[in-house]
Amino acid sequence: MIAGVGSLPKGPSSPRQSQKEATRQRVLEAARELFDTHGYQGTTVREIARRAEVSVGSVFTTFASKGDILSEVMAARLDPLYAEIDRVMPHLRGSTADRLRTMFAIHFEFEAAHVRLFMSHIAAAYDWTLTEGARPYGRNTRLKDVILDTLSKGQAAGDVRQDIELQEVVDLLMSAYAWTYRLVITNGADAKAMIAVMDRQIGLIAEGFAPRS
Amino acid sequence: MKHISPIQVAADTPARAPTRRALAKQQTRLKVLAAARRLFSEQGYEGATIRDIAAAAGMSTGAVFANFTDKSDLFREIMTDDMEALLGAMRDAAARGRNIEDGVLKVFMAGYTFYKSRLQLARAAFSVSWDKDGGPSLRGLSSSLAFQDVFTEMLTAAIERGELSQEAEVKLRAQMLFDTYLSNFPQAIFEGWSLDALQTRARDQIRILLAGARRG
Repeated sequence: MIAGVGSLPKGPSSPRQSQKEATRQRVLEAARELFDTHGYQGTTVREIARRAEVSVGSVFTTFASKGDILSEVMAARLDPLYAEIDRVMPHLRGSTADRLRTMFAIHFEFEAAHVRLFMSHIAAAYDWTLTEGARPYGRNTRLKDVILDTLSKGQAAGDVRQDIELQEVVDLLMSAYAWTYRLVITNGADAKAMIAVMDRQIGLIAEGFAPRS
Repeated sequence: MKHISPIQVAADTPARAPTRRALAKQQTRLKVLAAARRLFSEQGYEGATIRDIAAAAGMSTGAVFANFTDKSDLFREIMTDDMEALLGAMRDAAARGRNIEDGVLKVFMAGYTFYKSRLQLARAAFSVSWDKDGGPSLRGLSSSLAFQDVFTEMLTAAIERGELSQEAEVKLRAQMLFDTYLSNFPQAIFEGWSLDALQTRARDQIRILLAGARRG
């Protein structure tokens, strides 16, 4: 369905390159822990370097910015998540709304384990120092593709209106999904609570894309 | 005429003219707020420091701290001022709506128009709102919560008029309308969407979100 277009490692060659790769992995691991604990604003490149036990300079030879580092961390997490989504989706039965509910529930369960990390990912979208290469939430196409695919199948099956702009429904669902994480800040919500709210939101959006009776 | 000492007047009249000292203090506050607003817009919340703000206002950091407890206090004050002004504009817009859909669209547009000239400040606010420390205090502001009430009141009025069904799930719908309103800001901030483009998109979104609440 969706090819994983992550940054594929080019395979080890010279010792210098493998050392560079080791540095890179150390930085990513340190960054993941820090973003997950302190959030996006609360994490600095200097702290990432200190935790990874490398110099700030060497972080910047590999990554252009804090946002770039986080984008890499998140991209690495997407592969296992979407492997699961790709495995599950073809077997789902039921209405388009129900299939969307299951798909988002998998997302919430996956992200809830490191919820602060995912919220950093959302916050990064508004960062001042964000560089071209960074891909915060919203610029990642994999989720959008899965939603679009589900809605297209719904059109084929007849429970999604033919004359609706699918991209608009995709965007509504994308924003409902992201904003549901706000409940972590305001209510300390866990995955179960977020899934319950998202289920209702999907129901409401589904009323909007249902064929007119 | 009964003689009244100035001290008694001061004690008895709450709305007395401010002293010169109070006026000076008020002016300092306004100067700091103006400088902070500019720096937050130019450098974001993280990038603007109290020291820079003080320098831009032409005063010491001590003078800033005499008026505001910290940077987040300063930012909250700016956001509150804006949100209260916007809230008034949104309520006016809501009253001008020809029907629920038109009213909601006008409320969205009141917001996008208001922030058109201060998108970078909006960007700083979004960034803070997702932060674990700054988020709760910004989202919990009474003026921030009042935005959702605008949508709730409009939906409730539409039910009373018979335009929407009794089972319109007002609370959830109001929340989703508000979230959707907010979710279009990145298009305005980063992709330079015009007010017209935002309006076209918002109209479709509102239609989808209201569809299930229509009668019949």
